[in-house]
Amino acid sequence: MEPTDPRSTLLADKHVEFIKRLDKKHDELEYWMTEHLRVSGIYWGLVALFLLDKPAALDHQQIVTYILGCQNSDGGFGGHTNHDSHLLYTMSAVQVLLMLGALDQIDTKRVTDYVVGLQRDGMVSGDEWGEQDTRFAFIAVAILSQLGTLEQLDTQGIVDYVRSAMNYDGGFGSGPGGESHAAQVYTCLACLAILGQLHVVDRERLSGWLAERQLKCGGLNGRPQKLEDVCYSWWVLSSLEILGRVHWVDRQKLCGFILSAQDEERGGIADRPGDVPDVYHTCFGMAGLSLAGFKGYALKPVDPVYCMPKDIVERAGLGSWTDKVPESWRE
Amino acid sequence: MHGRRRQHEREPTADEKVQAQQRVERYCALSTQVAELKAANTYTVEALSLTKQLLEQNTELHSVWNYRRQIFMHLDSWQDMDARQQALERELAFLLEIITKNIKSYWMWNHRVWALGALPRPEWQRELGLVAKLLALDARNYHGWNYRRFVVAHLRAAREDAGAVDEQEFAFTTEQITRDCANHAAWHNRSKLLPAILAQRGEPQAVLQAETDLILNAIYTDPDDQNAWLYYDWLLDIQTSDTDRVRLLRGK
Repeated sequence: MEPTDPRSTLLADKHVEFIKRLDKKHDELEYWMTEHLRVSGIYWGLVALFLLDKPAALDHQQIVTYILGCQNSDGGFGGHTNHDSHLLYTMSAVQVLLMLGALDQIDTKRVTDYVVGLQRDGMVSGDEWGEQDTRFAFIAVAILSQLGTLEQLDTQGIVDYVRSAMNYDGGFGSGPGGESHAAQVYTCLACLAILGQLHVVDRERLSGWLAERQLKCGGLNGRPQKLEDVCYSWWVLSSLEILGRVHWVDRQKLCGFILSAQDEERGGIADRPGDVPDVYHTCFGMAGLSLAGFKGYALKPVDPVYCMPKDIVERAGLGSWTDKVPESWRE
Repeated sequence: MHGRRRQHEREPTADEKVQAQQRVERYCALSTQVAELKAANTYTVEALSLTKQLLEQNTELHSVWNYRRQIFMHLDSWQDMDARQQALERELAFLLEIITKNIKSYWMWNHRVWALGALPRPEWQRELGLVAKLLALDARNYHGWNYRRFVVAHLRAAREDAGAVDEQEFAFTTEQITRDCANHAAWHNRSKLLPAILAQRGEPQAVLQAETDLILNAIYTDPDDQNAWLYYDWLLDIQTSDTDRVRLLRGK
């Protein structure tokens, strides 16, 4: 049998084993030092597994029990048991429960009240300490859309904040004044997509700016003159997908780059070739391959707004954002 | 999670394994101790010290930053403005010490913002100097530029002549661009300041001409720098059109 070339082969079995081993690394300091984002780690691992069509590789019941144990008295979720609530982890918790068909096990009203309670003067903070960021605008809208309670949020205030984060290059930053950054672009586009407000976007300029993220190696960066990084395979590609312009990058070269960042010994995908893999880059590398139409493996299609398998998003009634994309964008 | 090279690992020695295990045990013991104190709403100087030890090792523990702030606010000394001033100045110094550990830590920057907001006598000018030093080390640092805008907003609010602050910032971006015309963070910041500068200078046409010369210089220096073309395109746009987008970008 020919040795598999990690540059053209998706090492699916190795990635599954990598993800399964994540919760067993109790002898590694790194495991304990990342405890605060365990809930998000589970979300990233599950997305990768679902896209690989190996959803049963982790114990669903165990995960659901653990996630439910991360909910606090304020209705929000922390990143681990007894960690303070934050929108970031509330989002991951809700997404995990949705993917595992266990959303009915939480009190929708409690979580909704937590999210809505973080909105002041139109914009939403990440937690009670007040940090504002377009990531949180997206997260608030995404959480409530998954719970079916979006009408309880002042969405005009959210749209105004997102618009105030738009820059001369068509991109979006973290807030008014923030430099355009691909990850923030994704959160703004995804937020506007759910709210049916994509017409405020400068489609031409932004598509061009995003296409310019691709470097000679095929990888994508997040801002001009920055290094390529596998996670931008998601932030940039999902943004282009929402804009209907994913063909503006060389998808084959991108797939080659993502694959070259695989760890052929340990499994998992890293930020760039030769680096230590982690579950975050494994998730977004996998999602990037799926969006780029990688042919070497039957990856499940991924929804570019929710970063979850398309079939799950559609079954949950969340796929209708595509109907609200501006007419003129449908070529 | 970023930028860590894989190393070809040999099997660790027995000694190394023991040491690694001890590091894990020490970290977990401290982490557990702080978690228990937090759960019991313990707001003491001893608890404050333990949170510091833990955060020095791991700046990403946002729950522990939250707890640290709550301890500060519950101590008796918090009500004494001079004591609070001293405590928070020490806190700012502590943050400066550990900032090089993880210059991209959202939680650390948030804590600094909180400390500035809680200080009876914040020194915004000093903060401006600090962030200028940081940007000299890492000219594209996203948090640094956001923090700079936060500090400048306070300076503007405190001065009668907000226009002078804008001019200062505009000059700062000119300095950054002169040093490196590919500094996109500086060009971006400039794009946010330009509408105000145009509004307050006597001859906006002269400003626009100078700006055009500046960006054309950047284009000649590196014609492949797409962002320079985007900036030039925008300069033409704000002079010639009055679309919603242009109005939005002019801050109207």
